[in-house]
Amino acid sequence: MKRVLTFFGAPGVMLARTVRAGTREGIPWRETLAQVHELGGRSVWLVMSGMAFFGAVLVMIANAQAKKLIGNVAVLGPAYFEMLVRELGPAVSALLTASRAGASHSAELATMSVNEQVEALEMSAGDPYADLVAPRVVAGVVGVPLLSVLGTLAATASAVIVASVALNIDGRAFMDARYVDGWDLLVGGLKVVACGLYIPLAAAVAGLNARGGAEAVGEATTEGVVAASLGCLLIDLTVSLAFQFVRL
Amino acid sequence: MRAVGGVGALALVAGRTAWALRGLERRELARGLVQFGFGSLPLALATAALAGVIVVVQAALYIQRFGARAFLGWAAGYGVLWEFGPLLLGLIMSARIGARNAAELATLKVGGQIEGLRGIGLDPFALLVAPRVVAMELSMLALSTFTFLVSILCEAVAAKLTLDLPVRVFFGTFAQMLSPSDILSGVVKTGAFGLAISLVSTAVGLRAKGGAKAVGEAAASAVVLGCAAIFLLDFLLTTVLSRVLG
Repeated sequence: MKRVLTFFGAPGVMLARTVRAGTREGIPWRETLAQVHELGGRSVWLVMSGMAFFGAVLVMIANAQAKKLIGNVAVLGPAYFEMLVRELGPAVSALLTASRAGASHSAELATMSVNEQVEALEMSAGDPYADLVAPRVVAGVVGVPLLSVLGTLAATASAVIVASVALNIDGRAFMDARYVDGWDLLVGGLKVVACGLYIPLAAAVAGLNARGGAEAVGEATTEGVVAASLGCLLIDLTVSLAFQFVRL
Repeated sequence: MRAVGGVGALALVAGRTAWALRGLERRELARGLVQFGFGSLPLALATAALAGVIVVVQAALYIQRFGARAFLGWAAGYGVLWEFGPLLLGLIMSARIGARNAAELATLKVGGQIEGLRGIGLDPFALLVAPRVVAMELSMLALSTFTFLVSILCEAVAAKLTLDLPVRVFFGTFAQMLSPSDILSGVVKTGAFGLAISLVSTAVGLRAKGGAKAVGEAAASAVVLGCAAIFLLDFLLTTVLSRVLG
């Protein structure tokens, strides 16, 4: 029970403190830009290559399913693309970013708190929430949606290529946006923004609470990554369920 | 160049682990089984439940649109067994076990304890790496069955709640159109992911150099490389398995 409360409560408290400190002290923009580069620029190869493989796998699985029922996988193309935009593109890109950024954020912050650099920052009249957490949160909210757009593009491209080359069907069906409407974009967008907000917060909770030596850094990193990944799955499910109930 | 070095280090770790299997440390293996397998049970089951519900909620859109309610059991079961069960379990375990393995080994390496083991004539691979790899493999295989069971049960419940599909209809097409080979493919995938996670994380951990910073970096890069390996293996295994079993 305590762990469940911590899982949901600690990032919430962290968000409230970060917003308060950020509005009071101002957010250092140079650091924010560096964090956008750190999160976005250095995760982009992981997200794009992972999503490209994922798109190829999905087409093969759709093909195996279609063989049993209708015989022509191209019929599934537009539905596949809608599902990618609405669900799988955002969810899997966010999960990949969670493991990349969640791990590196919590490792960095844990190293700083173990080496008492966070206390040193406070001593020199800095605010760890405004100076360390807020730039990461802004970078997450900006970076994760951009990464998920790139990831979805990579998955679509690889799906089209695999369908045309390996399955010998018209691959363009897999980029047919016939079923995609504003609601799909809204659902996908909500998921990535929420994940972008949650990943840095979960990592910051784990990182700033680290106490001890090198061992504590490892533990904090593990904790941050697991919380970020599980949180992304939960956010994904919550948003999907909410829109499922209102039938949009 | 770095990729070649990484693959070489991985092959070296794999080879020395296989060599060290004879002198496997039993107590360390038991500790690993408890920590990796039993300790991950709540996380793995939560992931499984989430995966099942997510697949059904997504499939529900198309089931309603195309009016193919009866096929949900088969489609959702196929999705979880072939792709989402192994993939999500692999990603979560890469986060939990991969990061922890790399962090533990990096802590030992940074503290000079690995050198110490070598100094008193003990093989760190037999003592630290091989038990972790074996324990991870056994845990993943055991967890995969629980994962599939829980996620399929959750799918049936979610189908009942969201689509009002009777559980009997769900399991009707599930049993009719799926074969044991579909379950086998899921188990093979999960096992391969487990092997990849443990080898990558131990290789990364043993290469750490520096202080507390290096430990964090090792844990982070173990997670990243583990994820990359999982997606690559997923693609390769789907290609091979759908030829062999499909």
